[in-house]
Amino acid sequence: MKTTQTKTKVLTANRLTDGISVWLGASGEWTTSLKDAFLARHEDAVAAIEAAGQTALADNRVVDVNVIEIEETESGPRPYRLRERIRADGPTIDYAPASAARVSQAA
Amino acid sequence: MYRYDEFDHAFVEARVNQFSDQVARRLSGEISEDAFKPLRLMNGVYLQLHAYMLRVAIPYGTLNSRQMRKLAHIARTYDRGYGHFTTRQNIQYNWPALSDMPAILKELAEVEMHAIQTSGNCIRNVTADHFAGAAADEIADPRPYAEILRQWSSVHPEFSFLPRKFKIAVTGSERDRAAIQVHDIGLQLKKNDQGELGFAVWIGGGQGRTPILAKKIRDFLPEADLLSYTTAIMRVYNLHGRRDNKYKARIKILVHETGVEQLSAEIEAEWAHLKDGELKLPGADIAAINAYFAPPALAPRAEGWGELAAWKKSDPGFAEWVGRNVAPHRHPDYAMVTISLKPIGGIPGDASADQMDAVARLAEEFAHDEIRVTHEQNLVLPHVALADLEPLYRALLTDGLATANAGLITDIIACPGLDYCALANARSIPVAQEISNRFGDPKRQAEIGDLKIKISGCINACGHHHVGHIGILGVEKKGAELYQISLGGSGDEHASIGQITGRGFEPGELTDAIETIVDTYLANRTGAAETFIECYRRIGAGPFKAALYNSESEAA
Amino acid sequence: MTVIWTQNGIVENDPWVSDVTGADAPKLLPLAEALEHSQDNAPFGVVLQPADDARALAPILESVAIVALTFPAFSDGRGFSQAMLLRQRLGYTGELRAVGTVLLDQVPLMLRTGFDSFEVHHAPTIERLVEKRLPGIDLHYQPAADKTDAGTGYSWRRTAILNG
Ligand code: HEM
Ligand code: SF4
Repeated sequence: MKTTQTKTKVLTANRLTDGISVWLGASGEWTTSLKDAFLARHEDAVAAIEAAGQTALADNRVVDVNVIEIEETESGPRPYRLRERIRADGPTIDYAPASAARVSQAA
Repeated sequence: MYRYDEFDHAFVEARVNQFSDQVARRLSGEISEDAFKPLRLMNGVYLQLHAYMLRVAIPYGTLNSRQMRKLAHIARTYDRGYGHFTTRQNIQYNWPALSDMPAILKELAEVEMHAIQTSGNCIRNVTADHFAGAAADEIADPRPYAEILRQWSSVHPEFSFLPRKFKIAVTGSERDRAAIQVHDIGLQLKKNDQGELGFAVWIGGGQGRTPILAKKIRDFLPEADLLSYTTAIMRVYNLHGRRDNKYKARIKILVHETGVEQLSAEIEAEWAHLKDGELKLPGADIAAINAYFAPPALAPRAEGWGELAAWKKSDPGFAEWVGRNVAPHRHPDYAMVTISLKPIGGIPGDASADQMDAVARLAEEFAHDEIRVTHEQNLVLPHVALADLEPLYRALLTDGLATANAGLITDIIACPGLDYCALANARSIPVAQEISNRFGDPKRQAEIGDLKIKISGCINACGHHHVGHIGILGVEKKGAELYQISLGGSGDEHASIGQITGRGFEPGELTDAIETIVDTYLANRTGAAETFIECYRRIGAGPFKAALYNSESEAA
Repeated sequence: MTVIWTQNGIVENDPWVSDVTGADAPKLLPLAEALEHSQDNAPFGVVLQPADDARALAPILESVAIVALTFPAFSDGRGFSQAMLLRQRLGYTGELRAVGTVLLDQVPLMLRTGFDSFEVHHAPTIERLVEKRLPGIDLHYQPAADKTDAGTGYSWRRTAILNG
């Protein structure tokens, strides 16, 4: 039996050891790509990922655990909040200009 | 500059071991994130959007080439090849792993650096005038006093769990290049009528969500009383500062709510008990610390005068750079050089590992091995002979470090904003880049003249927007970025807090709005000699608001 | 589990421990009550809250058996200044106890500001304290209320006196 449908949600956190942003995948592993995140579309699924988040936090595998809302698009899940989109895609700027310049000089 | 003695080396090593132990306990799960957070913060480790962030202290902004090379090495080895110099004379790394922190701190300790108290509710890295020890207008070098404060405040047992962070700035001249009036304590070195050295003491300045300028509570504090008086301030604040609301916990709120007269009376009463105690500074200690900061022996290089004139004539680009980025040194044959970290369209304050290495090399070759970090997110070589300016300029050009825009509209301060920061509401860096590109033409910038734009990605005001001639504050409205503009702020000896113009601007409108403001200034100034801030103070916000919003009210 | 720890180890049967109840157990009195009971003959201790003015104890300190300072959360550092005032301003030499949230990493700072006993609940903290594996640094950049050596360096520096 399915519980009430909700806005699709995913569970996100940062890895304890290196702080890299991660999302909870379908088989319970933490993935560095939002595309591979488990999509919780119903209340019971949301409750399940929330519980998984609490467990992972208590196990000291991740920190800063949050359930976020996403929109399902053709190119994959897209968070509603800009903050979460930037967490998923990285800084919106060309942030290591000099190494980029080195590459272009080499080319 | 200051050199660690055995005590300092042993202390920092012990601190690295202490934090390594804490990291190990965290990684093994012995301590929870809640317990670990204050510990990591006191060692400069934050958690940001994408990764951990490490903030390394550059005490009073002074470093040598060996230290700069180490910063480059850390950027390359443990990060993604770059670092971000901040308004608090620190450097931030955006991608280090928690498990690497002990190794990074160990490497820093090798060059007498650390990340102690670069975050947390303690006394933070003490900042000072970046032209200290070189400026022609200086009464005394502020760095020895900043160093004494740095030592005394390190792992202070009484003041490590204050109501909120605590920032102290020291300046050595009337010209305030350390923004002392927006610090929790601002100290201005001065001489009294007897010619003795001491400080004017200001407290309760700050930015954040409630910008307040500091109040002067003492016109002259003898230098010997620096630590006892600071202790009195800290103790009164620690006991009485608000702890019920973190937005009201800074000393500025205590000053505001208690009243400056009463609070300074409490501080004086506390000080009466401390003043003749063990914190009184012996003259010999002050002299010993001062000796570390003795200026380098600068040989006469009078040939530079003639050469400089000739170079300027033959190379307009060089002449322009000298005009903007070179300031008079107290030695007539020397100059202070600002290395802009604000390339047109670049990321304010970012430097690649290669650029850091380049600056280190140039400091050795041309600048007596000294480098400064400014609160405007640039670097400074404080002691360069006029006769070396041209080769230095050529070298900076090759490394993309010769942008001639110090103090101009493209010399923008910007915080990391939503591209990195977990607290941000909006992005700061792309905003800075767009403005920089719009006004990047050297002729246009020169025509506009001195103008400070400062951008923060949220109300915490790390980008100093309250004291920008033009301040930009990112907010979130209905899930989208929106930017408020304020005008008339200033962080120098004529400090003022900017006033918000009116409704905010969407990202696509913002740069146009800035252009409207600049055009309004150009149309209203009495001449090129009247700077933006002078003009604003004369004509007020009216004409600017009219230009920004009038078409709207007509349409409405 | 609640234990009382001092530099000499765990204190057994400490009379002032907060979870001991019973009619004849001595009590830690809040400031106002302590000021009232100062004429009583029975030994009494005082427990201060962070907002209390430690200096108010001056007239009764002679008859106080123990002062406990409360840390409601690790982030509330008022107890450090209260301790300094008790030790340095009022010259209190009796037992000074930290109660509430006592974090391992704060114990060295508490020792420096004059605390000499600690009421601890957190099991890993107790374990480390028992093993005397304190995460402190023996070199100090400032004088405080503990016994230290001023040495011959800068006037503000101190080093811990080990086994002193
Ligand atoms: C990236 C992570 C950062 C975080 C989480 C952060 C956090 C904060 C917070 C919460 C405040 C407000 C404090 C208050 O009002 O009580 C603040 C203020 C401030 N921060 Fe940051 N900040 C960050 C980066 C920076 C950077 C990059 C700079 C320098 C460019 C900086 C310099 C300052 C300054 C100068 C202030 C305002 C002055 C004041 O203390 O009143 N911060 N920061
Ligand atoms: S001002 Fe806000 S967005 Fe910018 S760095 Fe500070 S906390 Fe982050």
